[in-house]
This record gives sequence, C-alpha cells and structure tokens, in this order.
Amino acid sequence: MNINQRIANIFLTSRVRQLLVAVLSVTFGISMYVFMNSFMSGVNEEQTEITFTAMSHIKIYNELPLEVQTIKPPPTDSHTVLMVSNNRNIQYTEGIQNVDPIKEELSQIPNITGVTAQLNQNVFIRNGVSKASASLSGIETTNEDDLFNTSDYLVEGKLSDLDKQSNAIILGTGLAKNIGVRTGNNVTILTSDGLSKSFKVVGLIETGANMADRTRALVSIQAARQLLSENRSYATEVLVNITDYNDAQGTAEIIKQLTDYKVEPWQEGNEQLDSSNVLRDIIAIAVSLTILIVAGFGIYNIMNMTVNEKIKEIAILKAMGFNGKDVVEIFLTQSVIIGLMGGLTGLMLGATIVKIIDNVPFKMGPLTTLPVTYDSSDYLMAFAFGILITFIAGYLPARKASKLDPVDILRG
Amino acid sequence: MTALSVNQINKHFYDPVDFHVLKDISFDIKQGEFVAIIGKSGSGKSTLLYLLSTMDTDYDGIISINDTQVTGLSQNKLASFRNEHIGFVFQFHFLLPEFSVLDNIMLPALKLKKKSKEEIEDKAMELLALLDIKGLERKKASKISGGQQQRVAIARALINSPAIIMGDEPTGNLDSKNTNIVFDTFRQLAKEQGQTIIAVTHDDEFADKCDRIIELSDGMLV
Repeated sequence: MNINQRIANIFLTSRVRQLLVAVLSVTFGISMYVFMNSFMSGVNEEQTEITFTAMSHIKIYNELPLEVQTIKPPPTDSHTVLMVSNNRNIQYTEGIQNVDPIKEELSQIPNITGVTAQLNQNVFIRNGVSKASASLSGIETTNEDDLFNTSDYLVEGKLSDLDKQSNAIILGTGLAKNIGVRTGNNVTILTSDGLSKSFKVVGLIETGANMADRTRALVSIQAARQLLSENRSYATEVLVNITDYNDAQGTAEIIKQLTDYKVEPWQEGNEQLDSSNVLRDIIAIAVSLTILIVAGFGIYNIMNMTVNEKIKEIAILKAMGFNGKDVVEIFLTQSVIIGLMGGLTGLMLGATIVKIIDNVPFKMGPLTTLPVTYDSSDYLMAFAFGILITFIAGYLPARKASKLDPVDILRG
Repeated sequence: MTALSVNQINKHFYDPVDFHVLKDISFDIKQGEFVAIIGKSGSGKSTLLYLLSTMDTDYDGIISINDTQVTGLSQNKLASFRNEHIGFVFQFHFLLPEFSVLDNIMLPALKLKKKSKEEIEDKAMELLALLDIKGLERKKASKISGGQQQRVAIARALINSPAIIMGDEPTGNLDSKNTNIVFDTFRQLAKEQGQTIIAVTHDDEFADKCDRIIELSDGMLV
C-alpha cells in the first residue's frame, strides 16, 4: 500500500457511517440492476419458449411470387406495342413437391438442431351434426417431437400412435370439446376439395394457447398426403430449429443459398414478439441504469462532502508537497473502494433477490414460479457499470479537491 | 552561502479592489540564519511567507531557493520541491487529526520516497526524542495537547531535513513555556544542522532573540 492509498484508507475508515451509506447505495443500485435484468430476460425467455412450442426458428415454404410475371418480354423496337389485359399472378406450384433433398442439404449445416416437414391444410372436422373448422397438420412424429416437445403437451394418448394407424388423429382439447368427442371416438374430415375421410381420435393435446387448442388437429404426414392426394415427398413447409434462436436471421441467409423457396426466420413473421422482447430489455436497462445513476449521485454527494470536510487536510498535504495528482488518487481510491465493496455486496444481494424471485409462486399458464435467468453477463455488466459510475462520481469531487489553492485555506 | 534570495517582489490582491500588498521587496537570507519577519497586522508578512513557501505563485519578481529559481516552475514541480526542501510549521499546527502522531510526522518522508519505511520511522522516533514528545507516537494527533501538537508539527517539518524551515506564527497560540521549547529547538537546528529558519511572528520577544529581523510596513521593507 503506497502512501496515497494509506491516506485514502484512513480518510475512509474514520467515517464508518458515511462509508456504509455510500457502499449501500452502490449495493442497492447493482443488486437492482442484476434483479431487473435477470427477471426481464427470464420473462423474455419464458415468452419465447412458449412461442417456440408451436413455432420453429426458421420456416421454409412456397410463397406466391411478389411480382407478376410477364407472359412476353417487352418489345424492343418502338413500332410495336404490347398490351396484356388482366394479367394474373398465378402460383404454378403449390407447397414443396420434394422435401427430401432440402432436408438432406439442411442436415449439412452445423448449427441446425432439428428439421421437420409439415403438411398444413385447413379442413372441417365433423362429429355427427357438430362441425368445426380446424387446421390439420400432417407431421413427422419423431422430428416434430424433437423440435417442439409435442408429446409433453399431450394430455391423452401418445404421439407415436399416429404412425401405427393411418386413420389416427390427435385433437386440441378445445376442438374436441367443441365438437364433443373423446379419445376413441370417430370424426370425419372434410377437405376443401370435397373429399371426406373418417379418423379415430387417439389422443388430446393442450399447449395452453387457447386459439391453437381450439383448432389444432394432428395426423401423420403420410395420412395427410393420402387425404389430399399428394405425392409421398410433399409438404407445405419445412421447419428448422437451430442452436440459438437469436441467430435465426444469419442461418436463414445461409439456407437461402440452398433453396429457391421462401426462407423466413421467426423474427420476420413475429415482429411483435421480437419487439416486445427488445422493449422489455430496454425498460430493464433504463430502470436499472437510472438506479445506478441515482446511486452515483449519492456517491458524488458523499465524496463532495468528504472533500469539503477534508479541505484543511488537503491544503496541509499540498503544503507538505503532495501534488494535484496525489490528491486525485487519494479521493479516487476512496470511491473505487466504495465501488468495489458496494459492487461485491450488490452482486451477492442481487443473486439472493433473484433466487427468492425464482421461488415466488406464480401459477398462470405454463408458469409455476416467476421466471428468471441466471446469466453471468448480467452480473458482469452490473459490476462494470457500478465501478464506472462510482469512478465518475468520485473523479469530479477529486478533481475539485486537486485544484484547491492551499494558501486560501491555510490563511483562513 | 545564500539559502534564499528575493528579487523585486511585487504582489497585488485584486479582490475586492486592487491592493498593492508587497512593494519592490528584495533581500537575501544566508544559510543557517534564523530570521524573523515582523510587522503590523496587514503589513503583508504572511503573504510574503506564502510567496517564499512556493505555494502562492501569483506575483512579479524572482525568488530563488538554494540556487534554484522557483519562480515559473509548474505546480507539480513546486510540490516536489516543497516536499524535499521546505519544512512548514503553521500557527494552528494543522495536523491530520485521524492519523497517529507517528504517521503525521512520517507523511512528507513517505511522499518523498528517498528512504525505506524503517529508516523513516527511526528518523521520526529520533525527532520525537529531540522535541521531547517521546511516548506519544501511537496516539491520535487529535488526542494530544496543543503544545504537543505544535511540536509534532515541527517534527513533521523536519522529517525530510529540509534546507529551510518556515513558520507562520509557529508559537502564536502557545504559552511561554512551550514558546521557549519551540524557540530553543529552532535555535539548535540553525546552529547544529545549518538549517535556515524563517518565522513570521508578532511576538517581539521571540523576534529579538533571532539572528535577523525583517520588518514590513505597508508592504515595504523597513
């Protein structure tokens, strides 16, 4: 410990209560930062997780071309006029005719964790006189389960039952209730082309999202192809999950090189979700930074008081040959010590609050306790901001102290 | 040998109105001299001392200490110059109250960093013995009597063996017994160690015993 640090130390410890107040203000600021950010990212993560139970990170499908294609190229010489009346945008192919090569190529990309094909079609479901519209999904049961943990949401039956019988169907609980069927009953499916086929209910699914539960019907993808008279490699969309859903846009760019179909990362189709995540993050950072800045003002105030109180001592030190840099060092050391002490206790308090929040019961939807995350970067950021703010709050009074003219003070 | 030389010093105060405090002051002080600066209150004697101490740099003229011209040096250079060459004793002792007596004495030497901590401590103990305040070293500076505090302040001024010791009414608030102790110490230092002593005082008895008296009146030498 050099002489300046020793002086700083003695100045600090001579006023224990003031030191405590300063440390506590940093502690409070940093723990709130940790708490706010852990809680907000917990909420975000939970929200996203719920969303991804029914949605993949990247979706590949056949989209109607945006531009109407001209039948003939425009005339090159000025004597000819080309007139096309009632030009239409016609989709020549529907769905993805051959998904196997696409799936093959996708499996080469390293950060892709799962790929599944779906055949989705709006149909009518009928049980006697009750009728309801439903969105029928033909799914590859194993892949689907890998991506969405679908079997976790089955309240009755097993997902693999769909593969055992070609006429097996799983209905959303709301849908089953609407048309009054239970597991074991038969329903009739009517397609938009007028075909009808009888299916047997082998299970019920409930995700917690009411809209989905009232319309969802699952069959195996083969059964769906059969129902809609499509070829054995047909699908309407290919769904892709990757290791980190935040990278979806980047990975989508890579996939676009491989296929002409529309590749859509989840952010594109769900801007409301993405924006609410970002907004919550902004609120969390704004609130916690405000608290840290308020703590900074507290330190500034206390350091200012200390400088005023020690004004005579500063003059004496200067008279003895301590220069401006020494004085800055003495007072900056004090605020950095306050910052470090407050920072460490703040991290501990923050972690404790997060732990408590994690155990607060909150029974709504799929939640049982309040959602939080344990992310070391939150703690690092809190600490870094805390130190930065105490540094600035300490530097300003320190600089003022260093500029004091000892003669004015000693002469009295 | 000249310890301190002052050449054509002029000093103004501008606040609240222009006031010419020191007018064309020039003098030399020899090494080992014990000089008293006297004058009526407001005559500019304290102002002169603060100029000599290098703390106040706002003046016209030239001051040299130990053949070094201090006029025009940067604040940081002046600070380290003070640290090494000038010892200070103030009227109101001005110790750091939260520090122990020993720490107070050692501070300028710890800042100078020319000696190890052990050597500095030995030297500080020596000074305590010299000033007859041995046994107080572990006490807090705020917990000893005024006369003792003043002697601690002198010990602090002596720790770096400065060439010049300056006192702003060093005995100003001491009783006659303590005044005598302080005076005798200064006397002894000037004689035995060749240190130059400059003290501002309005104690005529004190001044009479010095080698030389510089008297100021209305900012001019008398």
